[in-house]
Amino acid sequence: MSKYYICFAFVVFLFASCFSVKEKPKAYTVEIKNMKFVPDDITVKQGDTIIWVNHDMMAHDVTEEGSKQWTSSIIPSGGSWKMGVTAAANYYCSIHVVMKGKIRLQ
Amino acid sequence: MKMIKTLASSSIITMALSVVFTATLLAQTPKLNDAEVASVAVTANQIDINYATVAKAKSKNVDILKFAETMSNDHKAVIAQAVALVTKLKVTPKDNAVSKKLMADAEVTKKTLLSKSGKAFDKAYIDNEVAYHKAVIGAVEGLLIPSSKNAELKALLEKVVPALKVHLSHAEMVQMKFK
Repeated sequence: MSKYYICFAFVVFLFASCFSVKEKPKAYTVEIKNMKFVPDDITVKQGDTIIWVNHDMMAHDVTEEGSKQWTSSIIPSGGSWKMGVTAAANYYCSIHVVMKGKIRLQ
Repeated sequence: MKMIKTLASSSIITMALSVVFTATLLAQTPKLNDAEVASVAVTANQIDINYATVAKAKSKNVDILKFAETMSNDHKAVIAQAVALVTKLKVTPKDNAVSKKLMADAEVTKKTLLSKSGKAFDKAYIDNEVAYHKAVIGAVEGLLIPSSKNAELKALLEKVVPALKVHLSHAEMVQMKFK
């Protein structure tokens, strides 16, 4: 009898696994305005996307700060750049080196 | 050697006095009209572009060259916005005592910078950038913004202040490497 219960539980588990809904990746926006990243500290999940939108009159970029693992290259005034997040990072604008931001992973 | 040191220190004093005189003049000048404000704003930006041109021609220091390139690009962007705005507002920037004095002082500073080379030039350039940005921030906040009647002109000037402050912080960061 207990074998039937175990089999039944296993089948239920498989069924639930097949139909479990994976959370869709989300898109977040970081505005670049008044020479700041807004927000300058953002928490996302791996696979989420961040889009940086430059509202300033001058060009900026978004560059990983530690070992320059990734960079947007120049984002002109009015332009934007997006990236799928794979890891937490401290980043900065390599043109205006005092502008800094942080990506945290949930 | 002593003579060289004396000359070097006297040129630095000349540059420092030039910036101080500029700041004092800006602080004491009566209110300007919008056409004069526009002229002062464009002149102040053009002066820093001129300094950057000198730096790009004379320096071999990576930090100085990068800073100068940023100053050139950013101040050109500000001028472009200012020109677009005054064109839209149909205001013709009007030369005035403040813009003339700014340009005259800048010529003195430029001559001093041109007389230097190597590390002495780099230090003089970045010291001047720190002093100049402090003076310009004071002038924009204390004179140009309060003098502006037009809301869009005032908004543009207010938008420029954070950029000037970021430039100042960046210049101070580079300056630390020369101490």
